[in-house]
Amino acid sequence: MSAGDQELARDLGFLEAYTIGLGTMIGAGIFVLPSIAANQAGPASMVSFFFGGMVSLLAALSLSELATGMPKAGGSYYYVNRALGPFFGSIVGWGMWAGLTFASAFYMIGFGQYFLSGLGSYVPFLAESELGITVAALVMAAMLTGVNYYGVKETGSLQNVIVLSLVALILAFLALGALSGPTIGEFNPSGWPAVAATIGTVYVSFIGFEVIATSAEEIKNPSRNLPLAMIAAVVTPTLMYVGVMWVSTGTLSIGALDASNIPVADVAAEFLRGFASAIPFVSVSPGALGAAGSIAMIVGAVLATISSANASILSAARVNFAMGRDKILVEWLNEVHDRFRTPYRSITATGVITLVLIAVGAGIGTLAEVASFMYLVTYALVHVAVVVLRRAEPADYDPTFQIPSVLYPFVPILGALACLAVLFQMVVTFEPMVLLGEGVVGVEIALPFTLSVVGIIGIGIIVAGIAWYYTYARDRAPSQSLVGDAIAPEPAAAADSEGRYRVVVPVANPETERDLLRMAAASAHAHEDDNAELIAVNVIEVPQQTSLSQDVAFEEERVERQQELLSAARDIAAELDIGLRTRAIVGRDTGSVILDVIEEEDADHVFLGWKGSRSTREHVLGSTIDPVVGRASCDATLVKLGPEETPGEGDIMVLAGEGPHAPVAARRAAEFVTTAGEDATLTLLNVQQPSEDGDEDQSPRERGEALIDDLAERAGIEYMQYDRQVVIAEDIEEAILEAAIDYDTICVGATRSGPVTQAVFGSVPEAVGEEVDRTVVMARGPEESTMSIREAIARRLSV
Amino acid sequence: MIVPVASKDDARATTRALASHVDSVAGTVVAVHVIEKAGGAPDKASVEQRERDTEEMFDIVRAQLEEYDVDLETEILYGTDVAETIVEAAHEMDASSIVFTPRGGSRWIRLLAGDVALSLISESDLPVVVLPDEPEVEDG
Repeated sequence: MSAGDQELARDLGFLEAYTIGLGTMIGAGIFVLPSIAANQAGPASMVSFFFGGMVSLLAALSLSELATGMPKAGGSYYYVNRALGPFFGSIVGWGMWAGLTFASAFYMIGFGQYFLSGLGSYVPFLAESELGITVAALVMAAMLTGVNYYGVKETGSLQNVIVLSLVALILAFLALGALSGPTIGEFNPSGWPAVAATIGTVYVSFIGFEVIATSAEEIKNPSRNLPLAMIAAVVTPTLMYVGVMWVSTGTLSIGALDASNIPVADVAAEFLRGFASAIPFVSVSPGALGAAGSIAMIVGAVLATISSANASILSAARVNFAMGRDKILVEWLNEVHDRFRTPYRSITATGVITLVLIAVGAGIGTLAEVASFMYLVTYALVHVAVVVLRRAEPADYDPTFQIPSVLYPFVPILGALACLAVLFQMVVTFEPMVLLGEGVVGVEIALPFTLSVVGIIGIGIIVAGIAWYYTYARDRAPSQSLVGDAIAPEPAAAADSEGRYRVVVPVANPETERDLLRMAAASAHAHEDDNAELIAVNVIEVPQQTSLSQDVAFEEERVERQQELLSAARDIAAELDIGLRTRAIVGRDTGSVILDVIEEEDADHVFLGWKGSRSTREHVLGSTIDPVVGRASCDATLVKLGPEETPGEGDIMVLAGEGPHAPVAARRAAEFVTTAGEDATLTLLNVQQPSEDGDEDQSPRERGEALIDDLAERAGIEYMQYDRQVVIAEDIEEAILEAAIDYDTICVGATRSGPVTQAVFGSVPEAVGEEVDRTVVMARGPEESTMSIREAIARRLSV
Repeated sequence: MIVPVASKDDARATTRALASHVDSVAGTVVAVHVIEKAGGAPDKASVEQRERDTEEMFDIVRAQLEEYDVDLETEILYGTDVAETIVEAAHEMDASSIVFTPRGGSRWIRLLAGDVALSLISESDLPVVVLPDEPEVEDG
C-alpha cells in the first residue's frame, strides 16, 4: 500500500489525539482517588500526584520517540517486543492487557460509586451498598463491551464535547474551590514513605496517555501531533490532580474524605455552601447550591469513568491485535467481525475478564494498584527499548521525534529507575520479617521486607507472561530482539552517521552492472571519500496472483541469478574500493520496491541503467524506471551506456540549458571528471538561436557564455577547469545532436520537474538518449514531495 | 464498475453473483472495501487489522474471478460514511455503475450496523445494480 493511502487512514489531528488521551486520563483516578490518597498521605498526596506525573512525563518522552519511529497499532507492547524480543514482548503484552482490564474494572467500580450515590438520593435502598455498586459496575461494563462488540459509531465531536466539558467542570471546581479559601491542616501527617507509597496507588490515573500511542497509526502527521498530544495529555491532568488534591484536602477533613465514596462531589457540595450568600438577586439555600455542585461532579464522574473504560477496552483490542500480528497470541482472537467490523472476540475476552475482576471484589484500591504495577513494568521496559533502538539503529526505525540530545541518556535512565523505584516500594513493605529471634543465635535474622498483595498479583501476572512465552510464543514468534545489535552495533551501523552519502543502484543486467556501479561509485566518491556507500538492489518480481513465498520456491533459477548478480556487485565494489551492501528482494512491483528501498535507506541518490531504446508498448522510460525517476525523493540519475570501454571518463559534456535540473547534471559531470582525474575533460555546452535583429546588448555567444558561467556557479563547480562551448543554430535539438558526437559522455538535466511519469526528462534529453551513440547521463534533483515537509517538521521538532 | 465488498462472506456472495452475470460485465471491475473511520475518535478496530482482513477479502474475489476473463482491480478506501465514500470513489474512477449484493440481516442488526445498502441506493447519483444473492453451490 502506498504512503498516500495510509495518510487517508489518519484522521486524528492534535486536538482529537489530545482529547482521547485526556479523556482516558481524567477518569476514575481524579474522582475516586482523592479519598484513598488523602487517607494514605494527607495533603502531601499532592506531591504523590506530582511525582506520578513526572514519571509519566519521562515515559511520554520515550514513548513519543518510539511511536514516531514506528507509528503502528499496539503501543508500548509493540515497541518493547520489537526492541527486546518476544520474551519481554510476552511480559509486556500480557501485562498491558491485564493492566487495562484491571484499570477498566477500577473505572467501573468508580462509576458505580458515583452513579449509585447520585441515584441514591432518590432510591434510598440502593445508595452506598457494596452490592449495588458491584451490580452497577457489572451492568455498565457489560454495556460497554456490547457497544464495542457492535461497533456503535462514536463520533469525534462527541468525544471532544465530553472531554472539554469535563475539563471545564474540573477547572470550575478548582477555581471555586480556591476562592472558598481551602485551609490545609497538617501537610504531611503520615510521613514521606507514605507519600512515596501513594505514588503507586495514584499512578493508575496516569496510564491514559498510552491510548495515544496505541492509536498511533490513526494520527495525522504523527511526527508533530503525537509527541505534542502525549506530553500535553500528561501535563494537563497532572496539574489538575494536584489542584484537586489541594482543594479537597483543604475543604474536607481527611477522615471525611476517607469515608466518602464520592469525595470530589462532597468537596464541591461543601465549598459551594459558602457561596450561597454571595449570589445576588436570588436567594439560594446553601444546601441547594451544594447539591447542585455535587450533582454536577457526579455527572462528570459518570461520564469520565465511562469514557476511560471505553478507551481501555479499545486499547486492549489493539494490544491483542499487535500480539497476534507478532504471533505471541492466537490469531483466532483477532478475527474481525463480518458484520460489525470489530475485533469482537478480543473485545469479548477483555469484557469478560473485566466483569470477573469486578465480581471478585478485589477492592478498588487493589485494582488501581495492580493496573499501576503493570504499567510501571511496561514503561520501565519502554525506556530500555529506546536505548536499545537508538544503539541498534534498525533500518526501518527512523523516529521523527527524538528526545533532545541534552536529555537523551538522562531521560530513559532516570525514567526506568523512577518506574523501578515506585514499583519496588509498591511491592515491598519495609517491615522486617523476623525469621529468628536474637535469643537463638545471638543475632536477629530477618528478611528485611515483606511482599504486598499487589506485588504478589503483579509478579504473578509477569510469571504467567513468562510461562506463556515458554509454552506458546517461543516456538512461534520470530525472535527479533535488537539487544545484541545495541550492545555491539554492527560496524556498518556504527559508521552510519547522518552525513553518509548513499547511492541506491538497482542492478538487473550482468553486462551493464559493472559500468553502472563504477559510475555510481565515481559519483559517490566525489561526495565523501571514506563513508560513501552503494546499495545494490535486485528485485524478483512476482505477479499479484501468487503469494510471495510460493513463487520464490518455484523460481529457484531466478533466485540463483539474483545471487550471482549481487555477488558480482560485491566483487566489483571491492575492486573499486567502495562500501557496498546488497539487497535481494522479492516483490510485486520493482518500481515501488526500489522507492521503498530509497526511503528506508534514506538514500541521497538513485542510479539507474537504461537501454536507451524506445519500445512501443512501454513509454520511453519503461515501467520500472518511470516511477522511480518520477517519484524518488532523492537525486535520480539515469545512464545509457555508450560503446566505449570505460564510460564516465574521457571528454564529458554538459548541456547547459536553462532547465531546473541542469545544475544537477553539471554536478554529476563534475563528479565523474573529479574521480577520473587526468583522463577526463569537462565542457559546458550551450546552444543559442541567432538573434533576429541584434537589438540586444549581448551577442548570442555572449549570452550563451554568461549562461554557462551562471550554471557553473549554481552547480557549485565554478572552481573547476571547464571549457565553454556555445553553438549558434536555428534548430537547437539538431545542433545538440551534432555536437554530442564529439564527446564521450553527455550529461543532461531533466527538463520537467513535475511528477509526470510519462516524460520525466522532456523531449531534448529523450532525443539525445535515443539518437546519440554515446554514454548519456540524465540527472534530476530531488523530487519535491510530501517527504520534504515531513522532514522539515522533524528537523524542527528534534531541535 | 465498482464493486463494494463488506466482509469475507460478502466478498464470496458478491463475486458469486457477479460471476453468474459475467457476460454483461464490460470494462474493469474495481473491488473496493471501505475502512470506516470514526473521524476524530479512536476507531472501533485497528486500521491495520482491518486492512489485513480486507486483503483477505480481495484474495477471495481474485480467486473466484480468476477463471473468468475479467480485468480486476482492488482498492481500499477510507471514510466516515461508507456509502458516501463508495459513491465518491466511483466518481473518481469514472465508474459506470455500483454493483453489490445486499447482506440482508434483521432490523435490529441493521440498526446497529447501519444499512449501507439502503444508503447506497438512496444516495448514489450513479446507476446502482443490486445483484441477488445466489445460493452457494456445493462442490461435492
